[in-house]
Amino acid sequence: MTDIGAIALAAAIAIFSSGCSSLGEAMLITKAIDGMARNPEAGKNLRSSMIIGAALVETCGIYALLVAILLIFVLPGSIVH
Amino acid sequence: MGNLIGPENLKFAPNLETIVCVALCLVLAIFMIIVGAIARHADPTKRPKGILLVADWAVEKLDGFVEENMGEGFENFGGILLGIILFVFSNFIIGITGLPTPMAYLPVPLSLGLVTFLLIHFTAIRYNHWKYFKRYVEPFPFFLPINLLSMWAPLLSLSLRLFGNALVGWVLLTLVNWGLGNASAAIFGAGLGFGTQGELFFVPIATPLLHAYFDVFSSFIQSLVFVFLTTLFVAQEKPEVDVEKETKLTSRKEAN
Repeated sequence: MTDIGAIALAAAIAIFSSGCSSLGEAMLITKAIDGMARNPEAGKNLRSSMIIGAALVETCGIYALLVAILLIFVLPGSIVH
Repeated sequence: MGNLIGPENLKFAPNLETIVCVALCLVLAIFMIIVGAIARHADPTKRPKGILLVADWAVEKLDGFVEENMGEGFENFGGILLGIILFVFSNFIIGITGLPTPMAYLPVPLSLGLVTFLLIHFTAIRYNHWKYFKRYVEPFPFFLPINLLSMWAPLLSLSLRLFGNALVGWVLLTLVNWGLGNASAAIFGAGLGFGTQGELFFVPIATPLLHAYFDVFSSFIQSLVFVFLTTLFVAQEKPEVDVEKETKLTSRKEAN
């Protein structure tokens, strides 16, 4: 395997964490909508908590994207042949 | 390798991110001073108007937020929270103008995280005094290195959250601009004979949505999340009041 191929594979594995975080976000939003449907009066509180929670969960996916971007753009330049 | 510490390495050569950040801080400080002067000279018997109404609303909301999330003992925390909100929001949303986002430059979010980190630890020392150092040897002294490492977790998570969001927005926008510019140049510039202006056709269709998400929405949510986490981290340093002891003391006082 060449160096570039190994880096591409590493970036793809890093992005896997982003998919996991999107799964968690989907679960969060499902539960929040369940709660809103059951108790529409609490919808306002639930919505603001849900948005803050979604931003917190999304951070994990953004870390993964950051790692992938660094792997793709920074690592090839730092390999000395 | 030359001399690392010398006059040629001490030159003051700021990059554009630093200049934008300092300029925004200056603008915010001047704005705050003006609003403070207006508030000081306003007639308290009349109802507030204009900018004073907005400032009044913001201070009231923030005091309510602090009281709801932090409880007693933190009544004067509204000021620093308003400062943090305005700093994060303005430094994030400046990307919409095309200037470089200071949040995508690691020293800016890292120093903001350092402020929160110091705030957390000073609050802990203020409430726990010498018991503050007990947390590093819990549950046994064997855990000291692990506790010393995990001490830095809030700093890294707070600053990397802002940095990651801003950098990812910037990288995605740059990639989309570059790709759409090339595609448009290939179709309009070479194919239809618009020349070098050919790359301007596709880009304005896609970028407003991305700017709306990565600059406007993201800056709003991230400033909210940063302040929310700051209040949580600071408020959890205050030791819980022992309810049984308190009631015993008051009942003894009442008996006397």
